[in-house]
Amino acid sequence: MSMARNSSALASKSLRGSAISATWPGRLVVYGAVALIGLALALAPFLFPDVRSQEVAARICVFIVLVASYDLLIGYTGIVSFAHTMFFGLGAYGTAIALKTMGPGFEAILLGGGLGVVAALVLALLIGLLSLRVKAIFFAMVTLSAASVMMVLASQLSDFTGGEDGITYSIPRLFSPAFELLSDAEGKAVRLFGVPLNGKIALYYFVFISALVLFLAMMRIVASPLGSVLKAIRENELRAEAIGYRVVFYRTTIFCIAAGIAACAGILRAVWLKYTGPDVVLSFDIMIDILLMVVIGGMGTMLGAVIGVVLMTLAQYYLKDLMALGAEATGSLPLVPDLLYPERWLLWLGLGFILLVYFFPSGIVGTLLGKGGQK
Amino acid sequence: MSNSPSIRTENLSIHFGGHAAVNNVTCAFHPGELTVIVGPNGAGKTTWFNLVSGQLRPTQGRIFLGERDITTLSPSQRARAGIGRAFQLTNLFPKLSVFENVRLAVQGKARQGHRMFARTAALSGLKDKAMHFLEQTNLAAVAELPATALPHGDQRKLEVAMLLAMEPDIFMFDEPTAGMSVDEAPVILDLIARIKEDASRTILLVEHKMDVVRALADRIVVLHNGELVADGDPAEVMDMALVRDIYLGTGADEVA
Repeated sequence: MSMARNSSALASKSLRGSAISATWPGRLVVYGAVALIGLALALAPFLFPDVRSQEVAARICVFIVLVASYDLLIGYTGIVSFAHTMFFGLGAYGTAIALKTMGPGFEAILLGGGLGVVAALVLALLIGLLSLRVKAIFFAMVTLSAASVMMVLASQLSDFTGGEDGITYSIPRLFSPAFELLSDAEGKAVRLFGVPLNGKIALYYFVFISALVLFLAMMRIVASPLGSVLKAIRENELRAEAIGYRVVFYRTTIFCIAAGIAACAGILRAVWLKYTGPDVVLSFDIMIDILLMVVIGGMGTMLGAVIGVVLMTLAQYYLKDLMALGAEATGSLPLVPDLLYPERWLLWLGLGFILLVYFFPSGIVGTLLGKGGQK
Repeated sequence: MSNSPSIRTENLSIHFGGHAAVNNVTCAFHPGELTVIVGPNGAGKTTWFNLVSGQLRPTQGRIFLGERDITTLSPSQRARAGIGRAFQLTNLFPKLSVFENVRLAVQGKARQGHRMFARTAALSGLKDKAMHFLEQTNLAAVAELPATALPHGDQRKLEVAMLLAMEPDIFMFDEPTAGMSVDEAPVILDLIARIKEDASRTILLVEHKMDVVRALADRIVVLHNGELVADGDPAEVMDMALVRDIYLGTGADEVA
């Protein structure tokens, strides 16, 4: 990775241009795909105006942030944590509880979300300082138990959290479909490309721009001196220590940063959904989704988060529909329609995942950019 | 030699179970002095190095850097305090580029590791310095290869480049020429000789090759079974009957 980045700076001094040019088609594919996805997300309300597509686009935005922040840990630093949904949940529940109790205002989002982020930071600091000195497997266990405790708390403290049912609440009027950003002479919302410019659009762009800012901040972090130390720790912890880097400090720092960003993603999720419950922000299913998305995209590649999230989310939302179409089209053939029966979509998703891992051992982006070996 | 020692150990011991790998070693080293530490395999040379650079904690005894007691400091604190160490078993960041390996050492010295929002690629000071050390060690041409792709001799050079990049006061080399070809070793020895030109630096060197010892040593310390058995002028020490016995062959049964 640093090879590629340093390449331009050192090109004049280097004799090894071939190592870089060997991967240029891969880079073209990756950067092209990410640019397309970015463009599609930026214009999503106009390109895909139906409700379900809006939900998919917003979920992709939030999960790109969530998965990229998890990649800071597992891919860049080599920290295995199972508590990422816990931090995601803290941001979401903080926002949700504040919106419920204080009413639908921005100050509720700011205060509740802020408290959620602070809680995530404090918890991450405690877990980090107490246990980042121990071996990776013990640390993973600690995070797993912390996440379990948080789930129990969320379901037991039902006065605050709504228990298993979660919390439903309203969000600021600016974000409601009835709110008109621009109204014409007849008092209706102005339409752009046939799409009314109402609060729903404002809400989507609130999510999109926040996610974009967070993602760019993470891109910056991994390209910073701090990012290079993280990679050094992943590669050889003892040597990083021997050249003067306090490994525990750096590990705790990035653990807190990732937790804070995950909590911010939680705020976005809570505001978008107008509902927060254990299933949508805390469950281990989400943790597993995050892991799969990181692996599909490629660990230690920020852009991998984008590709992994998009592929996985599209499969989760549309594979069933696609299979239903396929089953219909092949209705006259033996066996094939049974295989394509929509309820079997998880089978195909699993098969697809196995093939991906087989052909892209370092994840899609990792393999295309020629980064690293097999994990 | 300068008057006050730059680094010294006092009754330094470490026990692994009942075995004393380093036993009661007291000695002091001065700026401008190159000391070669010799002894058969298992004599405790590398263990003593690990105690000084902090990878191991002593069972007993103290370590001083100048006047400062550094016995309880972590390896990173010692590195920042000025103790630099090159390792015997190559100990690099394997998937990172050669350049990045050295740049990380420069960045550690410059204490820039915590910066989150600066772009590494834009910090030209770090970059130029790293290139400077790569040129010194004849590694500039392979700067962009991953460290793991280098042949063994070049990996040893990279170890030395990283040590230089730390710009320490105390240079610790653990068999820097081990496994290097005959034409490669002189590059490293030249570098060590050049480090020595700066009289503020203290150099500790574990080495087996007698020609290296003769060419570079101001002083020789002999370790045997974890104990310091001889210390002094190279010619004298090499002449001692005891040293000949344990080091130059007849003591083959002593090898752990």
